[in-house]
Amino acid sequence: MLYSTFSLGRIQLAVPIHTVLEIVRATHFHPVRGAPELIDGLINLRGKVVAVINTGLAMGAARVEVSDESRIYIFKNSKELQEVSDEPVDPDTSPDNLGLHVDAIGPVIDVDKDELQPVPANMAHPFYQHVVRRNDDFIIILKPAKAVALA
Amino acid sequence: MNEPQEIQFNIYHPVITYEHRAAYDLIVSQLQGVFPICNQGKCKALEVTDDPQKQKQINDLMEKVEFFSDSLINITKVFFDQLYRAKETSAQSISQSMAKIKIDMIERNLLERTCDVRWWALEKAFWQCITLSNAATSRKGAKGADASALSSAVEMACTRLEDIRNCYTLYRDLVIVNAQGVVVASSNADRRSQVLGRDVSGEAWFQRAMKTQDGTEYVVQDVSPSCLEDSESLIYATAIRAEGDEHGQAIGAMGVLFDFQGECQIILNDYLPSDASGETLDGWFSFFTNDKDQVICSSDQHFIPFGDFPGLPKSHRSLLKAGESIVSTAIFAGNRSLLVSHKSAGFNEYTGLNWTSHLVLPVSAMFERSLGRNDYGLTPKELMNSRLIPESNRQTYQEIQRNKGDIQLISINGIVLATDLGKSGKSFMPIFDQITETGSSTTGKMELLLSEMSADMLQQNLKALENLSKQAIELIDRNLFERAADVRWWSTDHVFWESLGAQGGRSFDEVNRRLGIINASYTMYRDLVIADANGRIVANSRFENRERLDGMTVSDHGWFRQGMQLTRSIQYGVQDVCKSDLEAVDTSLVYCAAILENGQRVGKPVGVLGILFDWKQQALPILEECLPRMKGSVVLGGAAFYVNRDKVVIASTDEANFPVGQAVALPPENTKLREGQSASGVFSANGRKYIIGSSGSHGYREYKGLGWTAHVVRTID
Repeated sequence: MLYSTFSLGRIQLAVPIHTVLEIVRATHFHPVRGAPELIDGLINLRGKVVAVINTGLAMGAARVEVSDESRIYIFKNSKELQEVSDEPVDPDTSPDNLGLHVDAIGPVIDVDKDELQPVPANMAHPFYQHVVRRNDDFIIILKPAKAVALA
Repeated sequence: MNEPQEIQFNIYHPVITYEHRAAYDLIVSQLQGVFPICNQGKCKALEVTDDPQKQKQINDLMEKVEFFSDSLINITKVFFDQLYRAKETSAQSISQSMAKIKIDMIERNLLERTCDVRWWALEKAFWQCITLSNAATSRKGAKGADASALSSAVEMACTRLEDIRNCYTLYRDLVIVNAQGVVVASSNADRRSQVLGRDVSGEAWFQRAMKTQDGTEYVVQDVSPSCLEDSESLIYATAIRAEGDEHGQAIGAMGVLFDFQGECQIILNDYLPSDASGETLDGWFSFFTNDKDQVICSSDQHFIPFGDFPGLPKSHRSLLKAGESIVSTAIFAGNRSLLVSHKSAGFNEYTGLNWTSHLVLPVSAMFERSLGRNDYGLTPKELMNSRLIPESNRQTYQEIQRNKGDIQLISINGIVLATDLGKSGKSFMPIFDQITETGSSTTGKMELLLSEMSADMLQQNLKALENLSKQAIELIDRNLFERAADVRWWSTDHVFWESLGAQGGRSFDEVNRRLGIINASYTMYRDLVIADANGRIVANSRFENRERLDGMTVSDHGWFRQGMQLTRSIQYGVQDVCKSDLEAVDTSLVYCAAILENGQRVGKPVGVLGILFDWKQQALPILEECLPRMKGSVVLGGAAFYVNRDKVVIASTDEANFPVGQAVALPPENTKLREGQSASGVFSANGRKYIIGSSGSHGYREYKGLGWTAHVVRTID
């Protein structure tokens, strides 16, 4: 299965590519009054209004700032995901499209099922699903539905 | 993209290196390979889905890839042009400052020469000798007692001329000439027999000197033949006046023959790159021309001999304005060369002789890779975004980064789309892989070239700062040499030793007056003081300081103690910049020489002459002249300062960041410099990153330097 990798500070993370609707440059966010701090704001994606979560703040790390390299993952909503999936959709998946603002995206990687390892207990985190070893680095596979459910 | 401009260095330009041409070919062919891939993608879109919206999405992505590839091809074309332009601009700017340094160096030296001759001509031994010689000539020869008086006056004049030459070693000879134009005394014992009796009445310098109005006037004869020497001479001259009175009648002349060739050789060969055996590299020349465009001195007598009209383009021969400069390329001595010419701007009140400094270097030298060390702890990105890199190159860098990001984004979104198409989308994957691969490989190559360029720019800038620091230390060394010469000569004045001598008797009023006259013709001293052998100030030049200084005990002052140890008239001492009771406010730099009993050349000190150099006023203009410049203006964050042996700043153009009186934390290799050694590097201070060029003092002629270092810096962030 294909995963799109991205970085958050010095940590490498990845999300399954089939859950992604599109990746866009981070430009301007429309502020949302009263929204939690971890929401960067709303963006307009071809008529769809999408709330964007600051991944850094959501994961308890440094805030992701808008830069030349920062990007927004727009995730498919539960209906869109159902249309392209052969398997049952994670019940946590949001009925709305949601965005994750990240520092920078990396390459797309192909990961075999048997490469997916459980997250070590001392690293456990509600958003982490698996760990994949690539060369000398670890890449953490996220449960995007979980992260997005935060919003 | 930046303003479109004509490509000056297209990829077939002869200066473009083979490696760069190969990189260009590779980048362009890879990018051109993207178009058929995109076309293939458009065809596949029709095969893999019937959904017109999905087909459109795929086609849109393919078009975007084509657009960005096309844009990268265009960037590549201007990219190499910009790389070479940046190198060219920076090399030209460095060459221009080199040509300027050389002419400035000689001009400052010549200015000092004009002070010298005017002052020396007032010497008693000279006007006495001329008076006797003129009288003898009018009587058609001296006899008996007159003859012996004349002969001892000539001997005395020769001795005094020798004393001057011993202090000011940059003269080949000094002569005094009677009203008829006959040389009656000379300084150079080796050539005296040939020179005495020579008739210079037909030479312009003599005729013009005799017509000067008063003691403030002098004349200079540009480099030309004279019967006094075998080689061409640069002669400064002025009239010797009756009774040594500044306004008296001209009774003869004094001519001083500056060692122009020797001095110019040092200056011309300086800063030229040399091979392992110390020979100047082929194709590099440095020379001066006079106002008639004739060569007066050159770094290579074979290619550019004295008196020649070198094959310079017309634009280089018609510089009119003082300080004007021009750069062009032309064939010179068989090489395609960069020619730089800089017209003398004179110095202070000295207008100069309208000379022009020329520097010639092979065009290829401007584009050579610099092979210096590159481990300054700066990342390529930090360097690429620094101020050392021209704005246009920085914009290109950002544009490449942006295109790289866009292509990556398109690729990933393509993969998302292909994934959504399920099995049928699988055939798309290799296309997007290919696009990602091409995008990152080409932009990666361009980034590599840019970081190579930025490393070159760093090297060039470090070299330029090193040259500037070398200029700063040399100018101060040369300036201080003059001070060391001044103090030695003045200390031999008969008024001083007569009044301090055993018989004494003379009032110190005359000593005060004499010191006052000297100080009036030399603007760089705050005061001149004389202490007797007990360390008590007995005279000074400035009336306004007299009450404060008169009778002051200075026996514990460094300069006085040094002065009392000296027993020869050619020796001097110096007290490094420090606070002193002699000065009300400022710090002093005091030069000293012993006043020897009976005016002997070797003898017992009867007092000490101390001269208080106006250090700050002299050092600051030099430092300001040595600040790094781009297109004539000082670069932002540029600063220059001198540091003494104890690493304390003694003069600074930027008191906010490098204050005088405080130690500055410089890299050790920049302060532990041996005599005449230079170094460069990167350091952080005041929360900013600086690049720095430093040079250690190596003195000049008899002046040995005080272990100071000069530093020229600029910020890079």
